[in-house]
Amino acid sequence: MDRKNYLPPLVCGFGAAVLTTVPGVKSFGCCLIIPFAAILSLFLDHKINKSELPFNFKHAMLLGLLTGIFATLFATFFDVLMTYILHTNEFVQTLPQTEELVRQYKLGVLLNQTMGMLKQMSKDIQQNGFSLFYIVGIFFSNFFINSIFGMLGGLLGLSFINKKAQK
Amino acid sequence: MRQINSKISLRLILFFMLIVWCFGFSFESLFPNSSLAAISYPLLKHAYGEVCHQIPSKTFVIENHRLLVCARCTGIYLGALVFSFLSLFFFRKLNLGIKLLYISLVPILIDVIFSSLDIYKYSKLIAFGTGIFFGSIVFVYILTTLENNFIDKKPMKNG
Repeated sequence: MDRKNYLPPLVCGFGAAVLTTVPGVKSFGCCLIIPFAAILSLFLDHKINKSELPFNFKHAMLLGLLTGIFATLFATFFDVLMTYILHTNEFVQTLPQTEELVRQYKLGVLLNQTMGMLKQMSKDIQQNGFSLFYIVGIFFSNFFINSIFGMLGGLLGLSFINKKAQK
Repeated sequence: MRQINSKISLRLILFFMLIVWCFGFSFESLFPNSSLAAISYPLLKHAYGEVCHQIPSKTFVIENHRLLVCARCTGIYLGALVFSFLSLFFFRKLNLGIKLLYISLVPILIDVIFSSLDIYKYSKLIAFGTGIFFGSIVFVYILTTLENNFIDKKPMKNG
């Protein structure tokens, strides 16, 4: 893959990461942000790199996956940056509610261990603006979800662009 | 015959993947007394939070437990799940035009714009309905694309 081929997923992944980070915007786009970014990435690839039509299945999936990966990298970076600056984040703010909910189960030692770990993460974030466990956790969670949704977007984009090309 | 078997396998895989996905966001509501649900709650909440705003007023409550995705996302995923189940019994090739994808997006757009502008009050049921419609159409598109590329090997002819 040429270096120029990375540009559309990079741009679209960045855009998707910004949209998923900005409070309020996410409520409009919801689960459609990453798939639409992947579809847009296919369109941009076709425009910029003059990719041949019909789009190749592997190429579309790769572009979708790359969009998801770039979105993950940027979203994790934004999250880490905001957490470092503010010394708080959604995780810290919602931890009391999470604890209240989880405590209803009366799980004894298991609960104490889980909550102990989560509280340590929250404490690290409030004190240092940084928690390694938190970063690793959000990175893998973002990576898993965004990659799947990116590839779904790639599939949809493939169908969309190839059908348009047929006309 | 071999082609039919491949189709069934692909459809079964998609169906089970969707079951796992839907099970994840409703795990706590379906098994309110499960310790596994309690332990996995923080992780699942964050994972589903990546693809949904999870605003409490816009999510369904089952057995006093909120689902981990909003009403619209619930509709999208359940629409896809229902169609993935139906696809196990119907093998007729659906060749949907691109217009239907646009049309399936229109109700969502109208609902988002109208409820945001307070033309009418946000309704979970309307959001759920628009989601189901969109989810089912999107599933058919994804299934068709996968079958065309993996089984029929005709990426262009049938889109």
